[in-house]
Amino acid sequence: MPETFEPYVVGFLCNWCGYAGADLAGTSRIQYPPNLRAIRLMCSGRVDPTFILTALKRGADGVLVVGCHPGDCHYINGNLRTERRIVFLKKMLSDLGLDYRRVRLEWISAGEGEKFATVVKEFVEEIRELGPNPIEGNANET
Amino acid sequence: MKLRIAVEGLGACAGCEIAILDLHEELVSLLQDLEIDYAPILIDRKSLKENVDVLLLSGSVRNEHDAEEAVRLSEKAKITIALGSCASFGGIPGLANLYATRELLERVYLTTESTDNKEKILPSEEVPPIEKIIKPLKDWVKITYDLPGCPPQPKLIKEMFQMLLNGKPVTLSKKTVCDECDLKREEKKITRILRWGEGELESGRCLLEQGYFCAGPATRAGCEAKCLAVLMPCRGCMGPPENVTDQGAKMVSAIASVAAIDEKSGVDPEQLATMFKDVVGSLYRFTLPSSIISRRVSEGKKR
Repeated sequence: MPETFEPYVVGFLCNWCGYAGADLAGTSRIQYPPNLRAIRLMCSGRVDPTFILTALKRGADGVLVVGCHPGDCHYINGNLRTERRIVFLKKMLSDLGLDYRRVRLEWISAGEGEKFATVVKEFVEEIRELGPNPIEGNANET
Repeated sequence: MKLRIAVEGLGACAGCEIAILDLHEELVSLLQDLEIDYAPILIDRKSLKENVDVLLLSGSVRNEHDAEEAVRLSEKAKITIALGSCASFGGIPGLANLYATRELLERVYLTTESTDNKEKILPSEEVPPIEKIIKPLKDWVKITYDLPGCPPQPKLIKEMFQMLLNGKPVTLSKKTVCDECDLKREEKKITRILRWGEGELESGRCLLEQGYFCAGPATRAGCEAKCLAVLMPCRGCMGPPENVTDQGAKMVSAIASVAAIDEKSGVDPEQLATMFKDVVGSLYRFTLPSSIISRRVSEGKKR
């Protein structure tokens, strides 16, 4: 019997916007899929490409990075730094054979609980379409 | 008592052994305390029978023979050193991890421009079977120390021998190539990414800030930034610096931090990324097998 695939999504949320947005989604009782494991960081600028690679290597099917809207960053431009990193990282992942859509960057403010829920819903559905992360399964094949 | 040394090159170019010879006269004085027992590339000795103090292994494990040799020899040594970038991280041969074994064999034996193989024969007899992926040597045998570099700088080889002779652990610089580089940084942001040979090089200025891909910020020091002294961008042969596991990830951060961040420059980061050619080959030129995602994967296969 084929097992149904439940995506495992890691979320790196910044303390000031992303996480607050997730909080608002929670306190407003907005439903969104439970596939996201949220990790709170002070700033999306803290997201080192190593974090994303490690998450993917250890079996995450998708990685969502949420930061403040440009101009709103609590640390002036941490979110823009991450934006640049993720652009290069996506190109690198594509060259390594992974679908770049497994990594997604979103700007969500503390007031956008609704948007947070929508983004998680969309992202989980997108990953469900893409299927399981191929890294582990391919470890010893040619 | 002399320190007894064995040297063996696995799948590689023998450049690391030549780097030992590049010590020239200094090698002569070192040989008063060292005895090279076995080194097929350098001296005429068919096999290693006795145990040695130090084994220098260079090259990568490309086929079963390499793997067997690495295990057999390291059992005879007290200290095993991975000499060069191939042995330490997988090196240039490690980029073969971007292709399937079948693709590699077909390219090498059938489709290269100089190939004359009308019968389309892939060698199968008297050739050791190929290993499917390149792994750093530490995944095969217990490695005591790494001495990276492509090839390792003779100065570092000399220092390594001196540390070994004094019974000290072999240590490497904890700095990055940028710390040793004399080119001037001006905290400028880039709006383009060039490959070496494109555009016009300005001497005296940081190459990364001129838009050239230079792996200096994500590479261990020790080479005295010799390439940079002649305006050749760093290719990253010394591997990642202390406490960094993934050279490419570190380099992604470094490029991102010099990428123009203000709206004024009008450069879309996507556009900048499109200018960056051969991403994996540049970011992981020497370290793909020891990086977090160490090989090409393919989407769409069921786990």
